[in-house]
Amino acid sequence: MTWGLLLQAVVSGLLLGGVYGLVASGLSLIFGVLRIINFAHGAVMMLAMYATYWLFVLAGVDPYLSVIVTAPLFFVLGVVIQKIVIEPNRAAAEHNQLLLTLGLALFFENLALVLWQGDFRTVKVAYSGASFMLGDALVEVTRLVASAGAVLMAVGLFALLRLTDVGKALRALAEEPEGAALVGINVSRIRAASFGLGSACVAAAGALITPFFYVAPDVAESFNIMAFVVVVLGGMGNFVGALAGGFIVGLAESLGAAFLPGSLKQLVVFVIFVLVLLLRPQGIFGGSRGR
Amino acid sequence: MALPPLLPKYHLEVLISVIFWAYLGIAWNLLGGYAGQFSFGHAAFFGIGAYTSTLLLLQAGLTPWIGMLLGGALAAAFGLFEGYLSFRYGLKGPYFSLVTLAFAEMLRVVSVNTKAVGSSLGLVVPSAKAAPAMFMFAGKLPYYYIILVMVGLALALTWKIGRSRLGFSLAAVRENEDAAETAGVDALGTKLRAMALSSFLTALGGTFYAQYFAYIDPTITFGPSVSIGALLPAIVGGAGTVLGPVLGSFVLTPLSELTRYALRGRAGADIMLYGAILVLVISFLPQGIVGLVRERRVRAGRR
Amino acid sequence: MSEHTQDRTSAPVSRRAFLTAAGATAAVAGFPAVLRAQAREVKVGYLLPVTGPLAFEAGLALNGLTLAAEEINGSGGVKSLGGAKITLLPGDTQNKVELGNSEASRLIDQGAVTVIGTFSSLVAFSVRQVTEKNRTPFLLLACVADNLTEGGLKYTFRMQPNGKAMATLTVSNMFEMAKNANVPIKRVAMMHEDGNFGTTMGNHVEAFSKTMGYELVQRIPYNLRSPDLTSELSKVKASRPDLLIISGYYGDSKIIAETAAKLRIGVSALVGLANAAYSNPKFIAENRELTEHLFDGNYWYNPQSARARAVFEAYQKKFGSTMSNHGVQGYQVMFVLKDSLERAASTDRDKIRDAIAKTNLTDQILTQDAIRFDDSGEGINATPALIQVQNGKPVVVGPARFAEAKPVFPVPKWKG
Repeated sequence: MTWGLLLQAVVSGLLLGGVYGLVASGLSLIFGVLRIINFAHGAVMMLAMYATYWLFVLAGVDPYLSVIVTAPLFFVLGVVIQKIVIEPNRAAAEHNQLLLTLGLALFFENLALVLWQGDFRTVKVAYSGASFMLGDALVEVTRLVASAGAVLMAVGLFALLRLTDVGKALRALAEEPEGAALVGINVSRIRAASFGLGSACVAAAGALITPFFYVAPDVAESFNIMAFVVVVLGGMGNFVGALAGGFIVGLAESLGAAFLPGSLKQLVVFVIFVLVLLLRPQGIFGGSRGR
Repeated sequence: MALPPLLPKYHLEVLISVIFWAYLGIAWNLLGGYAGQFSFGHAAFFGIGAYTSTLLLLQAGLTPWIGMLLGGALAAAFGLFEGYLSFRYGLKGPYFSLVTLAFAEMLRVVSVNTKAVGSSLGLVVPSAKAAPAMFMFAGKLPYYYIILVMVGLALALTWKIGRSRLGFSLAAVRENEDAAETAGVDALGTKLRAMALSSFLTALGGTFYAQYFAYIDPTITFGPSVSIGALLPAIVGGAGTVLGPVLGSFVLTPLSELTRYALRGRAGADIMLYGAILVLVISFLPQGIVGLVRERRVRAGRR
Repeated sequence: MSEHTQDRTSAPVSRRAFLTAAGATAAVAGFPAVLRAQAREVKVGYLLPVTGPLAFEAGLALNGLTLAAEEINGSGGVKSLGGAKITLLPGDTQNKVELGNSEASRLIDQGAVTVIGTFSSLVAFSVRQVTEKNRTPFLLLACVADNLTEGGLKYTFRMQPNGKAMATLTVSNMFEMAKNANVPIKRVAMMHEDGNFGTTMGNHVEAFSKTMGYELVQRIPYNLRSPDLTSELSKVKASRPDLLIISGYYGDSKIIAETAAKLRIGVSALVGLANAAYSNPKFIAENRELTEHLFDGNYWYNPQSARARAVFEAYQKKFGSTMSNHGVQGYQVMFVLKDSLERAASTDRDKIRDAIAKTNLTDQILTQDAIRFDDSGEGINATPALIQVQNGKPVVVGPARFAEAKPVFPVPKWKG
């Protein structure tokens, strides 16, 4: 074991963690307000990645800039999904709601397969290959940007929830669903907005990921499970916690890769997941919901 | 039941498939439907069953008929372990589902990385010669009868439990665990019993799979497709009912065959439709097909 | 198109005997009954993951099959069967074992005299049971798992190199090249996806280290869904290998190549082993700078063969894209079957099976000597080609007798 290896593992782990946190913040928000575990989260991100790809290929729009277009677009998509599929079933059993989002995930993933086939696409921008060394450790600029984006998103969401009316309504709904209606909050609209906002977040995540990953109908599988682990770790509904949780998961995975044999790094993450679920289900940083 | 010997091979295959998934659905239903504990990781038990009987067969020449029971016992033990941890720490609803998912995934990762169980190369189950004492048959027909018997027994068990004291406790726990506790029901014990039965039965299905398809590997056995495949028939057919999983499988399996065949020009179109149907079924038939039938009957009775 | 001179080892079949044989076959084939007694067509079933995640690559293999079938039919069909035309019966496995089974049964019910498939080894494991029980020849297409031909099966054949051949011959090709360039290869590192494909390759590379005289300094399986493999590649770099071998699929192989480049990994070459990306024309086109001088040991067509070049062009014309190695496989396996049908002069499955077993086909487009099978059904002479990307094109640089260009080795940009 060399220090170089350790340094690299830590650096890549943080960069990876930033990406996980980025993907997970929207999921955390959705869970905090709507109390549903959204299995379709990764699929929505995948659609957003395709949107980013097409904007780049057809109109030459830089992926980072395309967020200006895709975020609002997916906000609307999120609202539509929530109103059509999720809201009518809000009183259904929790496990049925899980299955709803699972059905949505299957639908979207295969919609992409039907429309664009299964071959991999890449967005190649000038800075795709940019990287520098931090000592012995490689830092890829695009991943760094994504991690920075994660921090920005967490800050942005935090500000949104503290400072704006919509944000306050979201928090009210998350903390006190019955009370929120009593003080005149348009509950159904806010619920829709939360799914919309969560989708907008994951769309932005997708845009930030495309420069260093690839675009294909099954990309969700690389991030879905990790996103859930991160949300649980960070505390459901706590997206600042999601950011921190992301870093923890990324570090665990990267260190696991450096020091464990085989492909056992996945195990490290799941062990942490189970331990947190058993011992501190409200998350390391506490969420808006206990059990 | 006499029809199968006359069926062309292809149709017999589909029929066996339908009954197989019905069986897994029934096994899942004991925990998911009756006890109300929604497991997303039943593949863990399936895989334990498949690997146990197969390893014992390959290493010790033990007949899968016995290996199956040992696999079931091991799976039940694992289920109790998993269940005890989860229930003791108060995990409910989606949190419980996530934990079961995690356990199944962990088993998958461990088997991928363990050479002794074949890692990703999997295990080939010998099947060249027919040897009924070793759960190996020449044609498909014997497997059909075996899975039919398994379903029959599982259905009988489910029905019996539904009418027993355990069934009463299960229903109480499912409806409102706290109230049940107050009323003197041992919630933990009840749930654990359901878990043990459910995991035992699921493991038997794993052995059947291994003997029928003659090949297992970590993804086939511990992967999400088994976990999801086990719960869908019960949900669509009606969780917590005896015949629900059977109905569900008889609807789902041919449905997926049909959509696959009809939409085979476009890759993915069939699963897309499947996902849409899933959403529709959950939205409009939250109690499954059985629930729909009951509702109709109740309404008819009211007139 | 091209004229093939067939070795007429069998006497011309009399029309009457031919009709009798056809009638017998129809009875044996069963439901849905093939009522046309005059076998003007030979039904060949294919089992591929036509829909689902592997659809794209499987489609390329199917293109090869289709191209071959059309060529056969366009030049007079199966002559010893009175010009019978090949009819392809489609079977979609979606890469699922259950579907593989039921589809195989369906194809056999529908009268397929041979089944070709299944692209992924996973499905092939149980399909071969079905075909064996139904005494139907099963020609493996793209399935790499070694144990597919084990177990005393008589009806399963594999034309292309299996995992062992792929691994050992690619490594020996690299060593051959290194020797010619006077560059020592003592330390080898390998990364492979942790599924069946990657693990098979990894096991072989590890098993042959002693006999081939190298030290496997690092062997790292990884989950192909991993979004980041920097730690793994760091480990590789730290072990100072001369060569890095990669058995992976498209997305992961891309990430590995990119990360290895940025880390300045310090090897003499990056070598794919049956890699899905490194000799893939699409991957190369989209990643010109990255892919330049990547090696891949993979199935390929023989660039020295005029026929192969003609087929390549025909594919380009028909499908508007470059023929991939899977397309080559699909094309050639159909001709192996055609050759066997000619010699069997019958649509009886057992006769076809026996004919396949006796195959000795020299008129083929692969980078190998004559296509022949051993007792277990493995292709005896199956050889992968060593390919290197040069100027945006995958070219064959080994074995020497098939090479169309000299290899660039060691690769300066990888040396770091």
